[in-house]
Amino acid sequence: MSIAAEEKQWEPKIVAFCCHWCSYAAADLAGLSRLQYPPNVRIIRVPCSGRVNPQFVLRAFQRGADGVLVAG
Amino acid sequence: MKRVGVFVCHCGSNIAGVVDVKKVAEAAKEFRDVVFATDYEYMCSDPGQELIRKAINEHQLNRVVVASCSPRLHEETFRRCCESAGLNPYLFEMANLREQVAWCHAKDKEAATAKAIELIRGAVAKVRRSAPLTPGVVPITKKALVIGGGIAGIQAALDIADAGYKVTLVEREPTIGGAMVKLDKTFPTLDCSA
Amino acid sequence: MVAAARHPNIELLTYSEVEDVSGYVGNFEVTIRKKARKVDATKCRGCGVCWEKCPTKVDSEFEQGLAKRKAIYIPFAQAVPAIPVIDQEHCLYFTKGRCGVCQKVCPAKAIDYEQQDEIIKDKFGAIIVATGFELFNWREVYGEYGYGKYPDVIDSMQFERLNVSSGPTGGKILRPSDGREPKTVVFIKCVGSRDEAKGKSYCSRACCMYTAKHAHQVLEKIPGAQVIVFYMDIRTPGKAYEEFLERTIHEGAIYVRGRVSKVFPEGDKLIVKGEDTLLGRPVEVAADLVVVVPAMVPSRGWDKLAKMLGLQTDKDGFFQEAHPKLRPVETFTAGVFLAGACQGPKDIPDTVAQASAAAAKAILLLSKDEMATEPMVASVDQSVCAGCGLCVEVCPYKAISLTTIAERVGGREITRQVATVNTGLCQGCGSCAVTCPSSAMNLKGFTNEQILAEVDAICL
Repeated sequence: MSIAAEEKQWEPKIVAFCCHWCSYAAADLAGLSRLQYPPNVRIIRVPCSGRVNPQFVLRAFQRGADGVLVAG
Repeated sequence: MKRVGVFVCHCGSNIAGVVDVKKVAEAAKEFRDVVFATDYEYMCSDPGQELIRKAINEHQLNRVVVASCSPRLHEETFRRCCESAGLNPYLFEMANLREQVAWCHAKDKEAATAKAIELIRGAVAKVRRSAPLTPGVVPITKKALVIGGGIAGIQAALDIADAGYKVTLVEREPTIGGAMVKLDKTFPTLDCSA
Repeated sequence: MVAAARHPNIELLTYSEVEDVSGYVGNFEVTIRKKARKVDATKCRGCGVCWEKCPTKVDSEFEQGLAKRKAIYIPFAQAVPAIPVIDQEHCLYFTKGRCGVCQKVCPAKAIDYEQQDEIIKDKFGAIIVATGFELFNWREVYGEYGYGKYPDVIDSMQFERLNVSSGPTGGKILRPSDGREPKTVVFIKCVGSRDEAKGKSYCSRACCMYTAKHAHQVLEKIPGAQVIVFYMDIRTPGKAYEEFLERTIHEGAIYVRGRVSKVFPEGDKLIVKGEDTLLGRPVEVAADLVVVVPAMVPSRGWDKLAKMLGLQTDKDGFFQEAHPKLRPVETFTAGVFLAGACQGPKDIPDTVAQASAAAAKAILLLSKDEMATEPMVASVDQSVCAGCGLCVEVCPYKAISLTTIAERVGGREITRQVATVNTGLCQGCGSCAVTCPSSAMNLKGFTNEQILAEVDAICL
C-alpha cells in the first residue's frame, strides 16, 4: 500500500539532448500540434547529436537525472 | 561582473494561459547573476523589444535571456534586438516556454510553471558562460565551376554566364553535349534535341 | 551547345577532369587536368583530313558501337569543339611507334605527339555538379536477354542512334545483324530498374516516356510494323505525357503488362517469352528487333567526385540534396549545387528546370562581394592540442586539417602538428569537440562549459 503510494508520487527526471535541426524541431512540432506528454522531460538544445559528449550524459546522471535521451 | 536580464513573454494567452508568468519572473530573480526580470505580453513586438533595449541600458545588462517561443522562430529577432542595444548578439539565450512547455503540458499548470522555471535556470546558467562572438567575413570569388557538359551543365553555365559571371565548364569527353546530343526527337513534343 | 562555346563568359575545358578541390564556399581551389589531345587546338581548323586518312578503325562510343570511328576523331560531326583527339590506346603511333599519317597530312601542322597533359589551377566561388547518368550495364547480369551477345538485342541508346538522321543508318531503323528493316519490334522496360534482385530498386523515371516515343517512331517509320512493349507499370507524370502515351497506343503499339523471362534466337528471329499478367497467360513473340530499356545509374567516377567535394550519396551513388523538398539543389557542402541526373534519374524538362535552379542559387552567391561566416564554429586551443588528428577524421565537412607550428620550448625551437579549423567550411556540428581526447577542441556558442552548466542547472 505504502509502496504503491510512493510509486505514484515519484516522478522521474529526464534530460533530453535534441538536435536543433531535427529532434528539437520535432519537439516544437509536437507543441505546435498540441500533443500532450508528461512534463518530466527537459530538453537541452544541441547543434547536432554529434555534439553530445558522453561526459554530458554522465554529468546528468551524476546530478540526479533518472534518464537521458539523445535524439538526433 | 555578469549582469543577466530575464524577459518572460506571455505570448498573449499562449504561454500565460498555462504558465504562471509572474511567478516565473519572480523565481528568475533568484538565479545567480540575474539583476533584472520581468514579464510582458508580446516580447517580440516592437514595444516588447523596446522594453528589452531599455532594460539593457538601464540595468547595464551584459547577458539576456528571453523566455518565450522556440529559438527556431525568434532567436534571430532577439539577437538583432540585443545588437541594436549595443550587446553582442551571442550573449543571448532563449528558453522555449511555448512549443515545449505551455502547448504540450496545457493540463498541468503547476508542473508547466515549474518546468518553465527550470528551463530558464538552464538558459541563465548557459548564458553566464557565453562569450561574445563575431562572424568572420570571407571574400567571394566571382566565378563558377560547372562539372559536366551535358544538358544540365550547359544550361546552368549559360544562365550563370548570362547573369554576367565567368564560368568554367569542365567536360571529360572530347565534346560537350552529354547524353542529350545523342538523342533524336524528344518527348512529348518531338522537337529535335540538338 | 554552340551558344555555350561562343559565350564570352564561358571557358570551355573539354577532355578535362577535375582532380582536386579544396577550400570552401566562395573560395574553392580547384585543380583540373586538361588531358592531351595530341592536337594543338590553336592551330587545328577542324578540316577533317586527319581522321579521313587515319587507317585505324575503332568502335564509336558516340554511336554506341553501331559504327566505327578512327583513332584520331571527333565524336560526331557537330562536336564542340570541332577539334579531334587521338585515342592513344588504339593509335598505331602510340601503340606500335609507327604510322604518323595524321601528322603528315595535317595542313595546319596541328598534330603534336609530344603534347602533355596540362594542369590548371583556378579559384571559384560556386560549383555546380552536373555529371549526369549512364545506362545500367544490363549485359553483365541479364543472361535471359542474352548478355548482349545477340546483335539484334540492343538498348535504348543504340535504338536512339538508329533514329538520328546523322546516325549510323541515316535515321533508318535497321537490324544491326543484317541491315534489314524489322517488322516486329519488342521493347522490354525496367531492365535494371525496379529490380532489386539484379539491378536497382528505383524507377528510372524517363524510360516510360522515351519508350513511348520509340514505339511511335517505329510505327511512323516502318509501315505495317508491329510494336510490343512489355512493362511493369506505365508511369507518365508530366505535362502532356499521358496524352503522348495514349497517342502511341492509338497508333497501334501493343502494351503487355508483364516481364520477359527469356529471349533467344531462332532462325533470323528472336523469340521473346513472357507473361501477360493481366490475362494470366504466357506470351511468345517472334521479333525481328528487341530493345531493352536499361536503368539510369550515376555516371562513373561519382564516388571520386563525392569524396573530393564532401558530398553525400544515396545507396546507388546519386548525390544527396540538402533537403528533398526545401533545398533540392543545394548540398551539405555550402556553395556546391546539383543539376540533372547526377542527383537522381530524371528527364530533360526536369533536368533543365533543376539546372536553372542550381544556376540561380550560384548567381545568388556570386552576386555578393563577401559573405559572413557563422561564428558558432569549432575552435582549437593549440597550446593543448596534441595533433592526434582524430577530429580531422571525424569532421563530416572536411573543415579540419593538421598544420605544423613552430614554438620555443626550453630555449629550443621545435615544430609540432596541431589541428586547424577552416571556419568557412565548419558547419558547427561539434563532433570534433566530442572526439577530442584532450578537450583542445571546443564549439563556440555551445561550449563544453556552457552545456555542462545547463545540465547542472536543469538537474538541480
